[in-house]
Amino acid sequence: MTLDRARWDKGITYDAYKAAMTRNQERFSENESKVVLDPETVRTFNSLPKPLRVLVLAEDWCGDVVANLPILGRLAKEVSTLDVRVFYRDQNLDLMERWLNQGKYQSIPVVVFFDQDFRELGHWIERPASVTERRAAERKKIFAAHPEFGSPDAPVDQLPEDVRAQLQAELQKMRDNTVSFANAEVQRELRELVSKVAV
Amino acid sequence: MTAKPVKVKITYCAECGYEPQALDLTKALMYEFGARLSAIELIPWESGTFDVSVDGELVHSMKREGGFPELATVKAAVRLRLRSAPAI
Repeated sequence: MTLDRARWDKGITYDAYKAAMTRNQERFSENESKVVLDPETVRTFNSLPKPLRVLVLAEDWCGDVVANLPILGRLAKEVSTLDVRVFYRDQNLDLMERWLNQGKYQSIPVVVFFDQDFRELGHWIERPASVTERRAAERKKIFAAHPEFGSPDAPVDQLPEDVRAQLQAELQKMRDNTVSFANAEVQRELRELVSKVAV
Repeated sequence: MTAKPVKVKITYCAECGYEPQALDLTKALMYEFGARLSAIELIPWESGTFDVSVDGELVHSMKREGGFPELATVKAAVRLRLRSAPAI
């Protein structure tokens, strides 16, 4: 599969994607409003010698899309070097096959940078490993601090409903508390990616 | 005398968009077993979960078995439970 102008034009803009969301639109907008762009990120993208095309694979039910795509959206509005087109993953499985996570998982969001002639420069998938690791460590701490939650590996349906609700609240609190770290890590990885490939 | 109805719980990752699979399984079980089920509980969760338990026994776990359950596997687990459940 080669990306060309005709296929590129089938993607929708970031704003059109937002407007068409049937799920999580409010949370998406809230996340976008909370994004704090690192000045280094803005400087890096503003100093790109040529504008880049950015292909995104997304679906509006996906938590990682809702968390991370707003960062790219805010960045694209702030700088003048990114032209973003969003493609729905499930309607574009041929594109998805090209950027599978670890060669087998259809993880999203996928962010692919191209030059103006549609030569791929680099891609980014789902979320930084550092965020996964940090949240896994925080999750372990939650279970250690709350014996009533049982084992982190046990099926949650075995927990009484009220305990399950408490666990869910603790996990949400943990995610909220790690958003700044996660957003900074996403920006760091995107910065490093374009710094390596920018021509 | 009929067997005590069994309860099925389906825990699915809502953040992963597993609603269609959870609903398909729910629908299939409803049509297959009807009132022989006491309830089907749907639990929205996270972390790539898709677990199915029958009367508290885990019969499928995405983390353990990988992927979504075969419908036949879940149906077989429910039938087995119905056969072994005490009569009421």
